[in-house]
Amino acid sequence: MSEPVYAVEDLVIDLYTPSVSVRAVDRVSFAINAGETLAVVGESGSGKTVMTLGPLGLMPEGVTIDLRGSARAAGKDLVKMSPKKLSSLRGGQFGVIFQDPMSALNPMLKIGPQLAEQARRFAGLSPAAARAAAVSLLARTGIPDPEDRYDRYPHELSGGMLQRAMIALALAARPRVLIADEPTTALDATVQAQILALLRQIQNEDGIAVALITHDIGAVSVLADRVIVLYAGRIAEEGSAIDVLTSPVHPYTRGLLASVPDFRSDTASGTREIPGLPPDQTRVLPGCRFADRCPQAEASCRTKRPVLTCVGGNEVPHRAACPIVIRDEGLADND
Amino acid sequence: MRRMFLRRAGLALLLMLAATALTFALVTAAPGNVAALIAERAAGPGADGEMIARIADELGLNDPLPVRYVRWLGDTFTGDFGVSLRTGKPISEEFAERIPVTATLLAGGGMLALFYSLGLGLWGATSNGRFADRILHGIALIGASTPNFFVAALLVIVFAVGLGWIPSFGLYGWTSWILPCVTIALFPGSVLARVVRVNLQEAMARPFATTGFAKGMNRGEVLVREALPNIAIPYITTFGAQFTLMIIGAIVVERLFGLNGIGAFFIEAIRFRDFVGMQAVLTLFVVFFVSVNLFVDLVAMLVDPRLRRARRA
Ligand SMILES: Nc1ncnc2c1ncn2[C@@H]1O[C@H](COP(=O)(O)OP(=O)(O)OP(=O)(O)O)[C@@H](O)[C@H]1O
Ligand SMILES: [Mg+2]
Repeated sequence: MSEPVYAVEDLVIDLYTPSVSVRAVDRVSFAINAGETLAVVGESGSGKTVMTLGPLGLMPEGVTIDLRGSARAAGKDLVKMSPKKLSSLRGGQFGVIFQDPMSALNPMLKIGPQLAEQARRFAGLSPAAARAAAVSLLARTGIPDPEDRYDRYPHELSGGMLQRAMIALALAARPRVLIADEPTTALDATVQAQILALLRQIQNEDGIAVALITHDIGAVSVLADRVIVLYAGRIAEEGSAIDVLTSPVHPYTRGLLASVPDFRSDTASGTREIPGLPPDQTRVLPGCRFADRCPQAEASCRTKRPVLTCVGGNEVPHRAACPIVIRDEGLADND
Repeated sequence: MRRMFLRRAGLALLLMLAATALTFALVTAAPGNVAALIAERAAGPGADGEMIARIADELGLNDPLPVRYVRWLGDTFTGDFGVSLRTGKPISEEFAERIPVTATLLAGGGMLALFYSLGLGLWGATSNGRFADRILHGIALIGASTPNFFVAALLVIVFAVGLGWIPSFGLYGWTSWILPCVTIALFPGSVLARVVRVNLQEAMARPFATTGFAKGMNRGEVLVREALPNIAIPYITTFGAQFTLMIIGAIVVERLFGLNGIGAFFIEAIRFRDFVGMQAVLTLFVVFFVSVNLFVDLVAMLVDPRLRRARRA
C-alpha cells in the first residue's frame, strides 16, 4: 500500500488550562491514505477535535498542549516541529473545515480575496490568476454567481453557502488532507446532505484524504471508508465503515449505534441513550474508561487497559478494545 | 446607510440646539450681572444704577430668555460671538488666534494616543501573557490612572528642568508641543491601549482566528490581518469618546504649559466672570463634541461591512 498522507502513532495529548489538566488523547494511532475518508466518531468531549487538530497546533488560545508520540505528514513529524514550521504545513498540507462557518469566517474580510490569497501564497499564482482560481473554486464548491460572491462578506451569505465557501477556503491551497470537524452539525438537514455530497464529489475529483469528524452516523455511512470510534481519548473500535456500522463489537459502539434513530432496522426498541456520563478525564485510571457505563463490565475491566484486538475485516482490519465481548462471542481473529 | 447617517446628523443638530440652549440658560442664571460688569468696566467702581439699567436695556438683557437665546443663536450662526467682557475684543478674533493652538494640541495628542495605543496594544498581544505583556499592562495601567497635572509636572521636571532638552512653557518652535501633547495623550492612549489589548485577546479566541491559523498564518499575521480588523469598531468608538474628553485635558494642559488656546481662554473667562466668553467657549465645546461623535459614527459605519452594505439587503 502507498505511504499514508498522514500517520499518527501512539499519540498522547495532555491539555492544560489555568484551571484543569486533561489527558484528552491517550495513545492513539491511525493513518489516512490519499483518496480515503476516515470518519472519527464519538460523544462530545471524547477528544475528536483535539486528536485531529492538536498536532497541527490548532488549539484555542489559552490552552497549552503537550504532545507525545508521532504525527507524520509530508515526511515530517508534526510533534517535533517548531510552531513556525508547523504553520507552513497548515494550509498547504492540511485544509480545515469547522463546524460553524458563520463564526469560522472572519466577518470583516471578503470571501473571495481570502481564497485568492491562499492560491497566491501556496501555489505562487499571479494576482490575476489567483483571482481566477478563487472564482473557479467558488464555482466548483457549488456557489452560484461566483463572480458576485467573490466580493461578498460572510454576513451576506446563507449558512450552507458559507460552508461551501469554507470548503473552498480549505481547498484553496491544494492541501493533501482535508480535516472536516463536524462540517454539517450547524446546518439545516437539507443543506447537510448537500454539503456531504459536495465533500464526496471533491474527494472523487481530487483524490484528497479526508478526516471527517462527526456525530452523524448517517454521514459516516454515506462518506466514510474507515471509522474510528473514540471514547474518552482512546480508540474503542476501528475498521471499515461497513464492518463497524453493521457488526459493531465494542459495547460503546453498539450503544452509540443503538442511540441513532432508524439507523439499523433491527433496533426495534427505538432509540436508546447510553446511560451515564463520559468519565472524568482529569484523572487517568487503569482499566477501561467505559467500564462505569458498560452493561457487560467485569472486575477485570477496571484494572487492565484493554488493547485493540483484531476481530475480522478484509483489507482493513476490524479491531476492538473489549476483551469481554471478544471472549464471550469468540471473535478473536489472529491472522 | 445614507438614511441612517442623515438621521444621525439630524439628531446631532437637535442635540447641539438643546445643549446650547441649556448652557445659555445656565450661564445666564449664574450669579453676576453682565450689565453691571460692563458699566464697571466703563465707569470704574462708581457706576450708578441708572447706567447699569441703560446698558442692560441696550443689550436687550431685559428681554425674555427665549428671545435672547434666539437672538444669540442668530448672531452665533453669522460668526458673531459677541465681545469678550474681559479683553474687550470680539470673541471671533480671540477664537481665530486660539483655535489653531488648541487644534494643534488635540491633533498632536490624538495622533500620539493613536500610535501609542496601537503600538502598546499590539506589542502586548504579540507577547501574550509573557513578561513584556505584563510590563506593558503596567505601563497602560499607570497611564490610565495618573492625573494630567501630575504627568505634566513629571515630564517638565525630567525633560525641561533636568535635561533641559525642550521648553516647558510657552511656544518656541515645534519642540514646545512635545510635552503638552504627551501629557494630553497619556490617559486616552492608555485607555485605548487596554481596548486594543482586550479586544485583540478576545478576537484571537474567536473561531475565525483558528481559521487564520488553519490557513497557514503565523501568530503575527493572524493578529494583524484577522484580529485587528475586528477591533476596529470598538477602537474607533472609544477613540471618539476619548478624543472628545481630551478637550477637558486641554483646559488643564494649556494652563500648565502656557499655551494660549481655547482652554486657557475658558479659565480666564470663568475667573473674570466673562459670561459672553464662557458661553462662546461652551458652544464651541458642544459643537466639537457633537461633530466628533457624528464623525465617529460615520467612520464606524464605513468600517463595518454589515452596516456599509445594509442598503443592499
Ligand atoms: N478549550 C478547552 N479547554 C479545556 N479543555 C478542553 C478544551 N477543549 C477541549 N478540552 C477537553 O479536551 C477533551 C477533548 O475535547 P474535544 O474538543 O477534542 O472533544 P470532541 O470529541 O471534539 O467533542 P465535540 O464533539 O464536543 O466537539 C475534553 O475532555 C475537553 O474537556
Ligand atoms: Mg470537537
